[in-house]
Amino acid sequence: MTPLLTVSNLSYCKKDKSWFGKNAGFRLDPLSFELKAGETMAIMGENGSGKSLLAKLLVGVERPNAGEILLNGEPLHHKRQRFQAIRMIFQHTKESLNPALTLGSLLEEPLILNTELDSRARKRKIEETLKLVGMLPEHQFFYRHMLSEGQRQRVAVARALILNPQVLVADEPFAALDPSVRSQTVNLLMKLQRDLGLGFIFISHNLGIVRHISDRILVLEEGKLVESGKTDVIFNWPKSDYTQRLIHAYQALISRDA
Amino acid sequence: MPLLDIKNLTLEIDTPLGWIKALDKINLSIDSSEVRALVGESGSGKSLVVKSIVGALPDRWKVTADRMNWKGRDLLSMSDSQRRAITRSEMSVVLQNPATSLDPSATLQEQIEESISDSQLDRGWFWQRRQQRRLIATQQLHKVGIRDHDVCLASYPHQVAEDISQKFALAMALVSNPKLLIADNPTMGMETTTKIQVLRLLAKLNKTRELSILFVSHDLLAISAMADTMTVLYCGQTVESGKMSQLKRRPLHPYTKALLDSAPSFRRDLPPKAALSSLDGTIPTLQHLPIGCRLGPRCPRAQKECVKMPDVRRIHEHYYACHFPLHRDKT
Repeated sequence: MTPLLTVSNLSYCKKDKSWFGKNAGFRLDPLSFELKAGETMAIMGENGSGKSLLAKLLVGVERPNAGEILLNGEPLHHKRQRFQAIRMIFQHTKESLNPALTLGSLLEEPLILNTELDSRARKRKIEETLKLVGMLPEHQFFYRHMLSEGQRQRVAVARALILNPQVLVADEPFAALDPSVRSQTVNLLMKLQRDLGLGFIFISHNLGIVRHISDRILVLEEGKLVESGKTDVIFNWPKSDYTQRLIHAYQALISRDA
Repeated sequence: MPLLDIKNLTLEIDTPLGWIKALDKINLSIDSSEVRALVGESGSGKSLVVKSIVGALPDRWKVTADRMNWKGRDLLSMSDSQRRAITRSEMSVVLQNPATSLDPSATLQEQIEESISDSQLDRGWFWQRRQQRRLIATQQLHKVGIRDHDVCLASYPHQVAEDISQKFALAMALVSNPKLLIADNPTMGMETTTKIQVLRLLAKLNKTRELSILFVSHDLLAISAMADTMTVLYCGQTVESGKMSQLKRRPLHPYTKALLDSAPSFRRDLPPKAALSSLDGTIPTLQHLPIGCRLGPRCPRAQKECVKMPDVRRIHEHYYACHFPLHRDKT
């Protein structure tokens, strides 16, 4: 079976245009991985290790210098194809939703840009998607400020799901959330993943959640892939220095209460 | 005698809809050299509790309390200058998000030297006093684990990394050798390794200087690694308080249980990818507070009686406010 997403030798080098010759900017060393349908992958690393950059490369905000991204074994030629298949959830939902638009028009925009649906079909699609993430069809007339934090997160998920993507990429989706809202969101994403067979890539600092929902982990350090593997292997037998430090720190936090 | 003793603290805010109780009968006490955690989600009024302890609230808000004592002296009946003297010399606050609470237009050196009071210096000529200030500042920075003090002191807040500015805020708070440190969300948004460093530092200060700490956070993992006792807030009401170990082993209030269950790290028996238990809905806004127990609409055990505010009950040192606590069966 061909994996859902294959990334091979993806690399990036930030070009720093300076008047005095070339300045070496941030580099992402070549990395490769595969993601199967219905699988969750977590990306861990320190600040500035290139986690967000990797997410941006996957969704196509930044162009890689070399390497390729294959979806179902085929290269992504058209922009539109990529925009439909790989969708992103942003970190701060509060800022990433436009305050001047109703949720309906917010969700309609990707449909107008990427599909051929007429307005009635679009409306139906919006209502379906809102129901899918556990909200009411009436919510399409609401504005951002009328929603609670958990509902906003749901809208962000709805916006990512509305084009029936195959891969979801999320940059710290749980960081800014309160514990009870966080478990609601985690449950929602896991349920959607089970039902729709999505591939899910997320970035997180919260090792508890990483351990709970991810199948595989990538560890980045200063733009280099340090370690990758199954979740329980990495948590039990971390190899690289950085991962060991991270896991030990986490274990130290937990074990005091035992 | 506890260091800080608060009973039935109520804070009322004037809104177009009338007076709203943002804090409703909060009880909190901190003994000397105790680490108490104040837990709650955002919007539960944690920061308001902190602000009413140090008196940093606008005058038009009404603060009433049956008791609000600092070492046996009533804080509310004190004059402003007396109260300021206490908050200056005996308690210190590390505010949420240090990178933004530091003055962006002054170097860190100016800011930390400003917080050194004259009484800590020997009398001397002005240049001697300047040297003493500099010395105290560098000593403090070393104590919190900032090694290259020269670089740190010369830079502006935006030039230092987030963990450094967190440590710096801590150093600034500790300059006056306080008895009580109030840390408002000191580990927010930090990576695990940095978090551990800050927590170790706080634990060390607690051991060596007998510093009491009020640790305000919603990061349960950090709290459980740190605190001896815990008070849980929900929507401006104290829900449960008691020893950390006891609360974790056997929470009595449904909200505490939900909060503990929401952290997957605590539950080793949980199979991967299993659904996490969580309460429905979200914390209500101040304009739409339910009457009685404010958890009511979200609580899985709520019944008719819950529209009345439950009294605080107690089992040994374990206080809770619930009509139908978890150790009793549903009737």
